[in-house]
Amino acid sequence: MLTPTPEFNRELGFPRTVAVEYPYGRPVGEVGDVKGQREVLLKTLGALENAKSPGSVVNLPFEWHEAPQDTKWHPSEISPIVKLFLSEIKKAGTESRR
Amino acid sequence: MTKVVDGFKFMPPSLGAWIGKDIPTENYQGEIPWTPLKKPIKEVRFSLMTSAGISLKTDPPFDMERERQEPAWGDPTSRELPSTIREEEINVNHLHVNTDYIKQDINIILPLSRFTEFEKEGIIGSLAPTCYSYYGFQLDPTILLTETMPKVASRMKEEEVEAVLLTPA
Repeated sequence: MLTPTPEFNRELGFPRTVAVEYPYGRPVGEVGDVKGQREVLLKTLGALENAKSPGSVVNLPFEWHEAPQDTKWHPSEISPIVKLFLSEIKKAGTESRR
Repeated sequence: MTKVVDGFKFMPPSLGAWIGKDIPTENYQGEIPWTPLKKPIKEVRFSLMTSAGISLKTDPPFDMERERQEPAWGDPTSRELPSTIREEEINVNHLHVNTDYIKQDINIILPLSRFTEFEKEGIIGSLAPTCYSYYGFQLDPTILLTETMPKVASRMKEEEVEAVLLTPA
């Protein structure tokens, strides 16, 4: 699995995880960036070839070219589940800042 | 220093705090399935599967309307995607990420062109004729696991797939 959120895999247990710090929805890379996509995928294939035991996690070294607030990964409409729990989400944010 | 990926870097802090409350702080402690790779990558037959909600325009799209009515429900079905498809042949439906980028370049999450190149270059053995998409928002994954994925696995066996790259949205 090539994932931007390796933390989620702690809930299940995956045979082989490759983590990449890219925005949600674009784990292989930026639109049209053939060279960058190839680099991510070749590292991922290398992780598959080199993994020797279940539960391996390989962190890729790549950095996204935009600041988080500029990535525009959000859906065009607020997710139904987020809309439903919006007050709890805001509360969790407030508590985490204390 | 070795980089450790922060999966919450791009998430709004409040949403990250809310989701993070349910994420274990330790690695999974149970048994993890393991099938050793039996041959070099250059001989392996691959398929690709993403949770991004991609469907052919000739197939029914993933059901977003029911999720809008039932926010805890996510479409538990899957779609087959020929490994030769182009962006103009697909719909992308996902209520949790911006789907515009995938419509511009499917390779950012289902790297069909890159794996086709790898096959031609002898980096992998081959890319199977069929790749797959399902819908990643599954608070109750029962149908996905008991009905949908066994059919996907069966199709992969028919096409003699030996390894699958999974790419969550």
